[in-house]
Amino acid sequence: MRTTIHWIALPAVAVGVACPAWAVTYLSIEQAQQAIFPQARLQKIGVQLTPDQRKAIEKSSGVKVRAIKFDVWKVEGGGWFLVDEVVGKHEFITFALGLNPDGSVKQIEVMDYRENYGGEVRRPEWRAQFAGKKPGSKLKLDEDIKSISGATLSCRHLTEGVKRLLATYDIALKDK
Amino acid sequence: MTSHSKTNRVRRCRPLLGTFVELSATGLEATSLARAVGAAFGRIEKVQRLMSVHDPESELSRVNAEAFFRPVRVSAETFEVLQRGLELACDSAGAFDFTVAPLLARWGLLPASLRRHGPGDWGDIQLLARRRVRFTKPLAIDLGGIAKGFAVDAAIETLRDADVSSALVNAGGDLRVFGSPAAAINLRHPIHRDLLPRTMRLGDAALATSSPCFTECRWQRLPVSHLVNPLQQRAVTGGISVTVRASECWLADALTKVVLNDPALAECLLTKHGAEAFVFTA
Repeated sequence: MRTTIHWIALPAVAVGVACPAWAVTYLSIEQAQQAIFPQARLQKIGVQLTPDQRKAIEKSSGVKVRAIKFDVWKVEGGGWFLVDEVVGKHEFITFALGLNPDGSVKQIEVMDYRENYGGEVRRPEWRAQFAGKKPGSKLKLDEDIKSISGATLSCRHLTEGVKRLLATYDIALKDK
Repeated sequence: MTSHSKTNRVRRCRPLLGTFVELSATGLEATSLARAVGAAFGRIEKVQRLMSVHDPESELSRVNAEAFFRPVRVSAETFEVLQRGLELACDSAGAFDFTVAPLLARWGLLPASLRRHGPGDWGDIQLLARRRVRFTKPLAIDLGGIAKGFAVDAAIETLRDADVSSALVNAGGDLRVFGSPAAAINLRHPIHRDLLPRTMRLGDAALATSSPCFTECRWQRLPVSHLVNPLQQRAVTGGISVTVRASECWLADALTKVVLNDPALAECLLTKHGAEAFVFTA
């Protein structure tokens, strides 16, 4: 009978194939705007938070404010388009948040996702030593490997980023 | 006519089901493709709205609150997931069981409102006519072990019905591929995530992974995780990760739990469903 369970013990680290940093760009700012507000006209507005606003946003969202100066987009006919970044232990995510005219969430789109495990894989010369040596290492991640399976990635950090933007809207944008 | 449409490709990612859901599709004119992808995300959002155990407004939360006192009528989707889950619970003699929510609540991994006293398992759930659910014991259900896969399947079906030529839906590692060419999937080691233990080609199939590695924590100094062995009423812990390949994602998702909890029995079930498992150990 064919075995249906394959037991795979961890190979010694030295013979393992390094997984280069995983990075995907999904949408540019313009593409994200089109994805959330198709055909709409958006007007860019520069925002600078006052120290009081910053404190109020942090208090209301429970999340630290990273940038006090940034751009937002007002949608003609109502609504807002905001972009923010969140940093986790291993990941760095840029995302867009579309708000309805009443300030409720219309849509969230991840624009850019980057993650990295193990500092050494960042060094090109370290990565290069594996090129062509193992079947897996020949794969160019962006073009060939379509996806990674292996563990659920939590979107907790992004959820916190959304909370921060909702508070930012409430405190700094609502009356603009 | 179709030569240029083949090059159209949409790849999107949204935070849903507590993870990142990535959806990519090819093979339609750009506007139709964007619409199909939007509709597929919509199906996933609906599953989340109905079956989230964390959302007190979800249909599942209503079932958990009321089904012991009176039969609760549910949506076709929730009823379908309950039916399939109960069938698998029966086939696996309880190695897959979605009534472990009270234990997870006791460990602080699910809301305290799901704590229950006294025994009870999948055998105490009754599915009645007109899509009604009743508990014969005070139970609480967590569909986390099956609904994510179900949502992935629903999204793939939506894309297939929209006539895309290929699609991939990946909900934080629970994924399904449709169409050609076959997609290259990298199975990641749960502990040594910078290693590529295995790369596989997948066409018209699903992969799901369960591992306690990322949620393991301590409760009263005991190691616990979001994975429960219902036969022992204990958490699955340690450096292990199970990935199952099956025809549909809900099945792959649910079978990972059977492999974790009862590997010997899992062999039979995997064979029955034409599935296979990859078990990574430390």
